[in-house]
Amino acid sequence: MAARTAHSVPHRAADPLGALYPAIEPYHLGRLAVDAQHDLYFEQSGNPAGKPVVFLHGGPGGGTDPKHRRFFDPRRYRIILFDQRGCGQSEPFASLEDNTTWHLVDDIERLREHLGIERWQVFGGSWGSTLAVAYAEAHPARVTELVLRGIFMFTQRESQWFYGRGTRMLFPDAWEAFVGVIPEAERGDLIAAYYSRLTSDNPRVRAEAARAWSMWETRVAALVADEASLAHCDDLDFTLAFARIECHYFVNHGFLADELQLLTDTVKIQHIPTTIVHGRYDVICPLENAWDLHRRLPRSELVIVPDSGHSAFEPGIAAALREATDRYR
Amino acid sequence: MLSRRALYPEIEPYRTGMLQVSSLHSLYYEESGNPQGKPVVFLHGGPGSGTSPQQRRFFDPDAYRIVLFDQRGCGRSTPNAELRDNTTWDLVADIERLRAHLLIERWQVFGGSWGSTLALAYAQTHPRRVTELVLRGIFLLRRSELQWFYQDGASALFPDAWEHFLAPIPEAERGDLMRAYHRRLTGDDEAVRREAARAWSVWEAATSFLLQREDHMVHAATDDFSLAFARIEAHYFVHRGFLERELQLLENVGRLRQIPGVIVQGRYDVVCPLHSAWQLHRAWPEADLQIIPDAGHSAFEPGILEALVAATDRFADR
Repeated sequence: MAARTAHSVPHRAADPLGALYPAIEPYHLGRLAVDAQHDLYFEQSGNPAGKPVVFLHGGPGGGTDPKHRRFFDPRRYRIILFDQRGCGQSEPFASLEDNTTWHLVDDIERLREHLGIERWQVFGGSWGSTLAVAYAEAHPARVTELVLRGIFMFTQRESQWFYGRGTRMLFPDAWEAFVGVIPEAERGDLIAAYYSRLTSDNPRVRAEAARAWSMWETRVAALVADEASLAHCDDLDFTLAFARIECHYFVNHGFLADELQLLTDTVKIQHIPTTIVHGRYDVICPLENAWDLHRRLPRSELVIVPDSGHSAFEPGIAAALREATDRYR
Repeated sequence: MLSRRALYPEIEPYRTGMLQVSSLHSLYYEESGNPQGKPVVFLHGGPGSGTSPQQRRFFDPDAYRIVLFDQRGCGRSTPNAELRDNTTWDLVADIERLRAHLLIERWQVFGGSWGSTLALAYAQTHPRRVTELVLRGIFLLRRSELQWFYQDGASALFPDAWEHFLAPIPEAERGDLMRAYHRRLTGDDEAVRREAARAWSVWEAATSFLLQREDHMVHAATDDFSLAFARIEAHYFVHRGFLERELQLLENVGRLRQIPGVIVQGRYDVVCPLHSAWQLHRAWPEADLQIIPDAGHSAFEPGILEALVAATDRFADR
């Protein structure tokens, strides 16, 4: 299928979540011990007899939010959200031990079996798109459709765009604050410099680094930065897990065998119906990432949203995502 | 967007003329607005894009004597698309010739994109002739900026438009796209020149607005516009703007300290990313930097034109 440009969404300011389904409560909350140490929070909402879908959150380390249920028609979908290792309501909090892409892929399988689900739709944005593709390539027979947003395939080029040469060109003001907490001498490898602070024994050092790391991403996530979302970065419970886990994955290059692994292995998932939604002004994961993935999945549909950045809750992005899950319901 | 300031109404010039600036080049110029008003010179972009009547509308016609001219080789200046005797310093000298010709002592200098480059070069050479600087979409003509737009940078956000930009250039020459284009734009084969000119110009038109404007892309593809635009741009860029030093325009900012300045910059300007405006702002903190959150590169983006008109209004009775 071809790439197409989505229409701009009118009345964008009225209710940013207006395109989504109403807020709902889960009908089932649970915990799943996935190894001796890690215990994951999961929840089910919508229709218990509906088509199953698993929501993969971003970061890694972002955790789920009740708003994430709203991308799916609750009468048609059995909606499963879970918090990946170390974040959200999963425990132990902010733990980096046994926390890799492949542990998470196994966790998704454990959760699927635990819930007695044969196959499900996989929905994920940003790091969620990375994990969704990694999972689908490992277990293609388990995936009915892929709905992906803000594509990130964890190549070096993509990491360098966000933590080096790219985003900073459009957001030099936010970049100044991001590099500001690292002494000049250590700026040659910012990710390593952040990692040593985020894993420091000194809680004040950890907290300062976690806030700056999270602030950088939050300030550039939406087309027009929303000051309210910056308040999130003052919540140490959020930033510590988010920054530590994200940085841990970056230091380890996503735990991929080689940097092109996810792109090369797309040959295994070409048969899976796939919709890719991407904001034109996504400066965290530039459109180029989606373009490359779309080229490797010739039957995928790419929807370019002209007036949006990276966030799943940009009005145009949210509308295109809902349109996709509606089509597959 | 609520109650944004609009452009002033369309006006006609009260005088137009041609000024011979060298044995080869004659420049079109025009004056509109109030002949007794405060003089302002508008420096267009490209280099090579020429002026348009819309550009008179950034200025209050009751307050300003508005001078527009087409730089060497473009618009109504002759000979069209000519690259000989066409350098930054020729243009700086032309601005002085035009000022003297019009018997203007000092004037406001207004320019965006390449117009900001030329405005900085002119003001740093003749600071006493400049009453204020109103700059938009800052372009300091450094290697990194050219690299961003013509090799690897903007391409990441516009992979679709980028495919069309790459199309006329064979794989083997894509390591230095600017030079590959320059060879074609200055070659003998007219069909090759035209094809290269179209692709070069459409790439910039496709990336100049926050929300792509089909009409601008269609206009950019016309031979009348694209040949002068692409040939002159590529000529300036392979010669790195004829600057003596890479950082010349930043290093000489000290010469501007006495000149009131406004810098208007779109957050999503992918042609001339905010990075350059930010560095200029850090070097020249006296100037007022205004970042427009929902705008790209063009002077005609709603938020940009609003800020530009507000700036010329602010300076109107100084």
